Amino acid sequence: YPLFQRGGPQLRIFRPNFFMLAVRPGVPQPEDTVQFRVSMEMTKVDIRNYLERIYNVPVAAVRTRIQYGANNKRNHKNQREKKPDYKVAYVQLGQGQTFQFPNLFPEKEQDTETRAFDDFRSKYMEKEKQKEEGDPRRGGVPDWFGL
Amino acid sequence: MAALGARWLLRPGRRCFSQTEPTHPSPASGPLYPPVVASITAKSKAAQQRRVERFKQQVHAAATVEEKLRLYGKLQRPKYMVYPQTFALNADRWYRSFTNTVFVPGVPPPVAAGAAPEAGGDPGMGAPAAATTSGAAISPEPAAGALPSLDMGELRSLACDALLQESFYQNKKRPFLYRDQEHTPGPFLTQLVSTLAAFLCGHNPLLAASSLDLKPEVNYYWHHGEEVVAHGHRKGRVDPVRFQIDDKPHLQIRVPKQLPEVVPLDSNLGDVPVINHKPSKLPLFKKQYENKVYIGSKVADPCCYGHTQFHLIPDRLKRERLIKARLQDQIEVVYRSNGIASLFAWTAAQAMYQGFWSEADVTRPFVSQAVVTDGKYFAFFCYQLNTLALTAETIKNNPRKNICWGTESKPLYGVVEDGNVKDFNDEVLLHLVRFLLNRPKEL
Repeated sequence: YPLFQRGGPQLRIFRPNFFMLAVRPGVPQPEDTVQFRVSMEMTKVDIRNYLERIYNVPVAAVRTRIQYGANNKRNHKNQREKKPDYKVAYVQLGQGQTFQFPNLFPEKEQDTETRAFDDFRSKYMEKEKQKEEGDPRRGGVPDWFGL
Repeated sequence: MAALGARWLLRPGRRCFSQTEPTHPSPASGPLYPPVVASITAKSKAAQQRRVERFKQQVHAAATVEEKLRLYGKLQRPKYMVYPQTFALNADRWYRSFTNTVFVPGVPPPVAAGAAPEAGGDPGMGAPAAATTSGAAISPEPAAGALPSLDMGELRSLACDALLQESFYQNKKRPFLYRDQEHTPGPFLTQLVSTLAAFLCGHNPLLAASSLDLKPEVNYYWHHGEEVVAHGHRKGRVDPVRFQIDDKPHLQIRVPKQLPEVVPLDSNLGDVPVINHKPSKLPLFKKQYENKVYIGSKVADPCCYGHTQFHLIPDRLKRERLIKARLQDQIEVVYRSNGIASLFAWTAAQAMYQGFWSEADVTRPFVSQAVVTDGKYFAFFCYQLNTLALTAETIKNNPRKNICWGTESKPLYGVVEDGNVKDFNDEVLLHLVRFLLNRPKEL
């Protein structure tokens, strides 16, 4: 953004590409810290204003970093394939609020039919595997020769 | 003879040597073989243990304190830089967990009840004051009674003079950007402390033998906890987490005799917060540089114990800025984290100067005081160091905790207008005076 000097015009941005995506942190973060993937053009001030004005979330501190996307993988033409870079923001909430990223795929309770079916399926797979392995008393020796 | 001997040896069968029978070893001569211990240079856990033990023996056997400090901080590795004056949120909780400190609000009873009764010349005042020093409930009365010869008016006039001289009488240019604190409150604090210390020398002989440092350096290096190295050629090894505090208080008073202990060495006044996250989440950053342990003067200085430190809050952490950023609850956190970190570094460095370290824990508590201010608001802290053993092995069976007493920040004055200081707060000045008058019981 252009530097503001006294007497200069108010900065106006039209149709900015500002987005914020809350993500589950890869390493455990303190209770008041939320991790976001944000647009590369957003600054700490932008992130704070975004959360405070649109979502009314009290923000105490924002820290950002840019994650470099790797460029090592190669496609079938041996061209390097770049994974895109993205900016990560760590937002510390104000007024003592805490946030824990929810478990988006909880284990569903299974009814008796599905549980019985799962048990049956696992037992069948075990029997098939045992048939393939052959007699354990032979110690792994194949049975296509001998008595 | 030689040929005969050779043939005799070549013949197989019975071999009898011509020597006399070996004498039985005398039972009192000790073990025949050297002790079977692990190697020193092997790549094994036993060898690592032996190297660690060797290092500890070396430090224990060091002849002088300088040699001990040199060996203690010889190995340089990346370490977390802990700043006492930090913008990090809730930093005082993290600092308490790093330094194994319990925070007790309020000032400890011996300091609240005033200086020792010998301060006043009145024996009649001395008896009730001595009887009531144990109970802090009626502290204001014996405090006023224990200092009968102290003129509150004179002290107030001293403080107001210093304040007016710096802010009103002297013609100063406008301060440069972010240099407000060193423009007015800094010189005011220096002037106030030096005049008060000089004035109170008669009441406290310890102050007469003290040394006042201007902008000294205080450094301390310690290990606490363990982590696994993430990157580099040492990846996968378990390392202690290293910390270093490099502090520059505004003023410091060092004395030749130690302040008395506030509570016994093994007292338990609360709990230390346990934080299971890495210190880098605070945020705290790592750097590798010299591991320095320093109290403000070198080891040979006779004034090797600490009395009081005075800290000035920098511009970026001022009250107005925090209020504008809607972080009102962090105002007290700033004062507390400054008090805890600076005092821990100072007392621990004093203990190291006496030869104690994490393997040789302190046998007597080290007490120091600090005043954290931003020119107008004053917060008082008192720290008792009970243990230096904070490394992963030594902290396992260590029941001792360090204790920090602290107050909330209170204003010393209201406004300065037209050569008058409005709403001067006598309590804060009295607190400051009591801090300066604190001394060991013998004096």
